[in-house]
Amino acid sequence: MTPSDLWVLAQAAAISLLMALASIAFGTLLATLLTPLAFAPWRLLRAFYRLYIFVVRGTPVLLLALLVFYALASFWGRISPYTAGVVVLTFYLAALIAEVFRGGVLAIPRPLWDCCTSLGLPRLSILRRVVSPLVARYALPPYLNVCVMAVKASSVLSIISVWELTLASREIIERTLDVYRVLAVAALFYFIMCFAIDRLGRQLESRLAARGFAGERL
Amino acid sequence: MGQYRAWLEAYGAAFLDAAAWTLGVAVASFVCALLWGAILFFLRLNGGAWGRRAVDAYVQLLRNTPVLLPIYLIYFGFPLVGLLWPASICGGLALVLQNGAYICEIFRGGYKAIDRVQHDAAKSLGLMPWTAFRKVTLPQLLVHSIPALGNQAVLLLKDTSLLSAITVVELTMQAKVLTERTGAAYAPFLVAAVFYLFMVWAIEFLTRLALRGVRWR
Repeated sequence: MTPSDLWVLAQAAAISLLMALASIAFGTLLATLLTPLAFAPWRLLRAFYRLYIFVVRGTPVLLLALLVFYALASFWGRISPYTAGVVVLTFYLAALIAEVFRGGVLAIPRPLWDCCTSLGLPRLSILRRVVSPLVARYALPPYLNVCVMAVKASSVLSIISVWELTLASREIIERTLDVYRVLAVAALFYFIMCFAIDRLGRQLESRLAARGFAGERL
Repeated sequence: MGQYRAWLEAYGAAFLDAAAWTLGVAVASFVCALLWGAILFFLRLNGGAWGRRAVDAYVQLLRNTPVLLPIYLIYFGFPLVGLLWPASICGGLALVLQNGAYICEIFRGGYKAIDRVQHDAAKSLGLMPWTAFRKVTLPQLLVHSIPALGNQAVLLLKDTSLLSAITVVELTMQAKVLTERTGAAYAPFLVAAVFYLFMVWAIEFLTRLALRGVRWR
């Protein structure tokens, strides 16, 4: 492995990280639309939510990726694997994040809901002033877990020819047969990215806790 | 409708075969991963400071890297040292290594959930360490771990799809091959997804059954 290979791997790692971050952003947006469905007054919407979660969490990301890649290609002609990759990861992460948010809502103690109604707070204020801060507080640790999973899941996209860290390592391995060193470097990059997300998240958590927004103090 | 029937007659057997591969690899890997996770957990508990550090480093490393890396490491790396194993064994081994790390963490969590008083009570009853572990710690450990283990089994099942990257013809690979061979847009993927969802449903059912079994005793 030459220094130029190392540089190639570093660039590939940056693409992995970008794919993961973009999907996390879109996935979080989609999840904020999905979570209310779990608490919708209509049974049909709740059933739709459950079905979505079951299907997306019950099929491998790779299968979803192939499905989207081939299905979109048959409707609109060949699309960029990068677009397909972000779309798939978005749908996948949205399911995970929606469940995280749902857990956060369920963790809100029952009396708090009663307090809100007895105070006569309008629904929107309940959502903005009570529910969202509490959900953010409860959901931050599992949310970070999902972010780490996003980085790892992005490696699957190598199979639909998204050029990121895993595909780049495979290319270099097939060219040089230097299996151990290339994979060690790739593992190191992944480890650094996942570990960094974890650490940054914890820092955010403690900073929020200091402001009384998240953490032990209420 | 007739078109679908013809399709099913032509490719149904291929799908069943692929599903058997997926299930076989998943079950064998999960059993081995349980063993490997138990060994890791035992080393962590009884291996002294260095044993604990070594296991923690292993677990952290594998938890923070995608499964494809160990798969490639074994599939491309073993032939270089003269081990020419079939792709399914290489992939299965990688799944065992990765999931063993997760299962070790699950056992650790289950162990931490056991009340300290239980250990003290076992000691004060005069139970020998091994008996105390077998009669007091282990049953509670398993009860605490069952939901997470079921979850891990689902994750492992889904990860077997990655073996398609190293030429194992399991469900995902079969779906891809049929898509490319028949020119179907995406129907084979939907069929494969139904197989996966059925297996996931079965795992969840078994988990609930196991949980009810241990609660009932």
